[in-house]
Amino acid sequence: MAPKKDAKKPDPPKKAEPAPAPAPEPEAPPKPAAVDLSAVKVDFSQDQMEDYREAFGLFDRVGDSKVAFNQIADIMRALGQNPTNKEVLKILGNPSADDMANKRVDFEGFLPMLQFVINSPNKASFEDYVEGLRVFDKEGNGTVMGAELRIVLSTLGEKMNEAEIDALMTGQEDENGCVNYEAFVKHIMSV
Amino acid sequence: MGCGVTKTSEFNKRCDRAMKAAVLIQRWYRQYVARMEMRRRYTWNIFQSMEYSDLQDQIKLYNFLGYLVDNFTPSSSERNLISHIFRENEVCRDAEWERYFSYTNIDVPDIYSGPRLTFPLDMDQAADLVEAFKNKQQLHSRYVLQLLLETWKLLRVLPNINRVSTCHSKEITICGDLHGQLEDLLLIFYKNGMPSLEKPYVFNGDYVDRGKDSIEILLILFAFLLVHPGDVYLNRGNHEDHIINLRYGFTKEVLGKYKMHGKRILKLLQKIFSWLPLVTVIDHRVLVVHGGISDTTDLGLIARVDRHRYVSALRPPKKKNASRSNLYTDTAINEMIFCKNRRGSLTFPKQFGSRDSFQRRSLQDFSSTVARTVEEELEVRRRQAEFSLSSFSMSHRNLNSLSSESDPDSSENTETSNEEWKQILDLLWSDPMSQDGCIPNEIRGGGCYWGPDVTEDFLNRHNLQLIIRSHECKQDGYEFCHNRKVLTLFSASNYYDVGSNRGAFVRLGPDLVPYFVQYQATSMTRGLSFPQSVKRTEHTALKVLREQLFAHKSQLISAFQEFDKEKTGLISLNNWASAVEQVLHLDLPWRVLRPQLVSDTTDSMLNYYCWFRDLALKKPSSENVEQTLLETLYRHRSTLETIFRIVDTDNSGLISFEDFRQTLKLLSAYLKMEISDEAINDLVISTDTNNDGSIDIDEFMEAFRLVDRTRLESSRSLQMFKQENQDQPQEEETQQTADYASPQTAVSQNADSAGQQTADSPDSQAADSAGSQTEDTCHNSLVPPQ
Repeated sequence: MAPKKDAKKPDPPKKAEPAPAPAPEPEAPPKPAAVDLSAVKVDFSQDQMEDYREAFGLFDRVGDSKVAFNQIADIMRALGQNPTNKEVLKILGNPSADDMANKRVDFEGFLPMLQFVINSPNKASFEDYVEGLRVFDKEGNGTVMGAELRIVLSTLGEKMNEAEIDALMTGQEDENGCVNYEAFVKHIMSV
Repeated sequence: MGCGVTKTSEFNKRCDRAMKAAVLIQRWYRQYVARMEMRRRYTWNIFQSMEYSDLQDQIKLYNFLGYLVDNFTPSSSERNLISHIFRENEVCRDAEWERYFSYTNIDVPDIYSGPRLTFPLDMDQAADLVEAFKNKQQLHSRYVLQLLLETWKLLRVLPNINRVSTCHSKEITICGDLHGQLEDLLLIFYKNGMPSLEKPYVFNGDYVDRGKDSIEILLILFAFLLVHPGDVYLNRGNHEDHIINLRYGFTKEVLGKYKMHGKRILKLLQKIFSWLPLVTVIDHRVLVVHGGISDTTDLGLIARVDRHRYVSALRPPKKKNASRSNLYTDTAINEMIFCKNRRGSLTFPKQFGSRDSFQRRSLQDFSSTVARTVEEELEVRRRQAEFSLSSFSMSHRNLNSLSSESDPDSSENTETSNEEWKQILDLLWSDPMSQDGCIPNEIRGGGCYWGPDVTEDFLNRHNLQLIIRSHECKQDGYEFCHNRKVLTLFSASNYYDVGSNRGAFVRLGPDLVPYFVQYQATSMTRGLSFPQSVKRTEHTALKVLREQLFAHKSQLISAFQEFDKEKTGLISLNNWASAVEQVLHLDLPWRVLRPQLVSDTTDSMLNYYCWFRDLALKKPSSENVEQTLLETLYRHRSTLETIFRIVDTDNSGLISFEDFRQTLKLLSAYLKMEISDEAINDLVISTDTNNDGSIDIDEFMEAFRLVDRTRLESSRSLQMFKQENQDQPQEEETQQTADYASPQTAVSQNADSAGQQTADSPDSQAADSAGSQTEDTCHNSLVPPQ
C-alpha cells in the first residue's frame, strides 16, 4: 500500500531548521521560517503519481478535487510517510487554526509537499522504535510500565489525548500493567 | 529541572531520549490512524458503490420491462407475465375492499401464543406487541390484516403534510431509516421511551427492505399510530413501494412469514404505502422528509396532490399515449458523462490533471451487452412514436386492457400528474450535494441532487429554518451539510455490515435545537475496538468485491487481453487497474485496493489466469449446462430473482416450467444475450426438484447458494469472530491470510450481514480464497440445483 519511497533528490531545498530527528520542545517554539515549496523538484514516476492521486481522492470529502490543510498530514501518513505535525505545519507555511480548517490544496499543490517530506531523512525502522521504548525499560527486562508510557505520551512531544492513548494501548498491557515493547512495536507496525 | 549539577547532563540526556521516544511513538501512532482511516474510507466506498449500482440495475430492469409492455403485441406471452405490475391501481369501493381484505373468517388456533389484539388498540396492547416481537413471536395473519385495515382507514384521512408542534414543552423525537432492523427500533425505544402523549415521534420512511424484520417494524409503528394518532407521524420513504420491495427483500419476507395470507397482506400494504403522508413540518420551521427537495419543490402543490394515486415511484402516472417516460433511459445516462465523487458529493465534469478516472463516473451498465447504443435507443423511441401516432386508438385500447378499471382522468391531467409525480419523486429520492444547482440523480435513478443555493431558496420561500432528511447511510448516524441547514439522519446501525456505522435519532424541543443520540445495535460490536471493526468491515467489503470480480470473469479476461495482445497471460498492475474499472464501473480506488485483491505478482506483472483461479471459490462442476449461461445467471441473480417474483403473480413462490422458460427468455432479451432453448431445457430439467412440473423460486436461487438470511443468526458469526480474535490478541494479520478463512467462521460471518443486502448480495457464504479451502461449505458455486 505504501508507495515506493523515492529519495532520489539528494539536495534538499533550503530549510530553516535542519532537524532530521524531530525533538520538539514541549513549549511553543519560535516560529521557524516557512518552507519554500516552489524550490522542490517533484520527481515521481507516472505510476507513483497515479497511486498518490487515488489516495488523495479518497480524502476529498467535498468533491472539489482538493483537501483541507488539516488533512494533509493524514494523507501523507496514509501514503506511508511519517511527518510530525510540526513538520507539516512548517510545510504549510505555519497556518492559523482557521486556515487549517478552511484552506484547501489541490493535488498539484500537494505533490511538492509530499516530495519534501519524502526527501527529509527521518525514516525510522523497527529497531528505532524498539530503542525508543527501551528508554522506559527500567529493569531491562523487555517490558515497560503501561502507566508510565501513558503519562509520557500525554505530556511529552506532540501530545496524544486520552482517547488516542486508549486506542493505542488496548489489549497491550498484561495483568501487571506491563507492555512487552518488542511485541508492541510488531503489533503496531503490522497494519 | 532542579537536580544536582553533576547529574544534570545525564538527566538531560535521559529526558532528551525520552522525548525522542515519545515523539517517535506519537508519529507512528498517527500514521497508523491515518492508514486505518484510508481503509475505512475505501471500505465505505465499496459498499456504497455496490448499493447504488444495484439500485441502478433495478431501475434499468424496470425500464426494460416497461419497454416490453409498450412494444410487444398484447398476446405476447412475455408481456402477459409482467404486465400486471403496470396496471393502474384499482380504485375499488370501500365495500369491495373490506370484502377482499376480510379477516373475520380467519381462525386463530388455540395453540397460537402470540398477541391477540382487540380493537380499538390501547397502549398496553402496543407495548405487548413490542414485547412479543422482541421475543421473536409472530403476529397471526388475522390480526395483521385487521391492524392494517384500521391503519389504512386512518391514513386515508391524514393530509399529505403532517403538521406538528412542540407546544407544552414537548420534545419531538425524529428517527431515520430503519430498513427492517428491529434491533435498532427496540434500542431507540429503550433509550428514548415508546411513543406516547408525552413522547411524540416522527418516523422518516424506509421502514422495510434489507433487514429481516420489516413487517414487525411496520406493525409496531402502525400500532402506535393507531393508539396515539396525534403523537406519531409517519413519512413515506422510497422503499415504501411494492416494486422496490420485489427486489430488496420485503416481498420475500412477508411471503415467507405468512404463507397463506401473504399475498393479501402485500396488496393491502401496497395501498397503505401510497397513503402514507409525504412530509412532516414541525412548528412551521422544520421540514422532515425522507429524501429531500429539488429546485421546483413546492409545498403548496404537495399539499394538494392525490398522493394515493402514486403507488410506485417507478411507475409514472398513466399516460394517454404509448410513449413511456422511462425514468432515465440508458442512453440519456450514457450521454451524460458525469463526475461524481462518491465520497462526498458531486463534481461537475472538469479537467483534473491527466487522468480523472477515479472521479469520473460514467453511468454505463456493468455488462456491455446491456447498454443500449444510441441507434438502438432511437429505434425504440421511433417505434414508440409510430405506435402512438398511427395507432392511437389501438394503443388506447391496449392501455385500457392493462388496467382493470378505467382511469377517470382526462388527458389534460396527464401534464399535471407528471408534474405531481416528479414532485413526489423529488421528495422521496433526492440527495444533497455540495455544489450549487440542481441536477437529475442518475445514480439512484430518481429525484435529483440539490445544492446549498437550492436549500437557501427553498427555506426562504417557505419560511423554514431546517430540513431533516434520511435516505443516505452515514458513518456516525447523522451528518449536517449546507451550512447546517440540512441534516441527514440514519437510524439503521451496522447497515452495510456489523460495525460499519452507528445509527442516530434526534430530539427537538421548542427551541428547535437538535439533540442527538447515537447507538449501535448488537452488543458484540462494543467488544471490538475501532481498528478491529474497521478490519472486519473491510474484510466483508473485499469479499463482496472479489465476488463481483469473479462474476465478471469473462469480461475481465477480454479486457485484460486488450492489454495483452500477445496472449502471454500477463498484465501490468496499472493496466489491471484500468481494465477492472472499465468493466465494473464502480469508481473505486483500485490501485489502493490492489494489494488486498492481488497477492501474487512477479516484477509487477500479474498472471491473470492464476489470479482468477485464486479468486474462484469453487470450481463449477456442471457438465450439462453451459458455463457462460451459469456465469451470467449468477451475476444477474438479483435481477433473475426479481423477475421470478414479478412472474409469480399469485405470490406462491412457485412458477411453472413454462413461465420459468419465459423468464429466462426475458432475461436473455434484457441482457441481449442468446440463451439457446437447449440450454434452457437443460436448466429446467435439472431444476425440477419437486418433480411436479413447477419450480420453487427459493430452491432455484439456492442453487447459487444464496443463504436465506432469515435462517441464520447474526450473533453467531460475531461471536466466532470475537473468539477468534481473542486467540490472537497481538497479531494483526493481513487480509489475504487465512485468519478468517476457516470455513465455519466464514459461513457465519456472512450470515451476519444481518439483513444488509448490498448489491448482489453477499449472503452467499464464501470462505476466503487462496487455497485454504478444505471443506466444501462454500458458495458461489455455479452448480445448478440438483
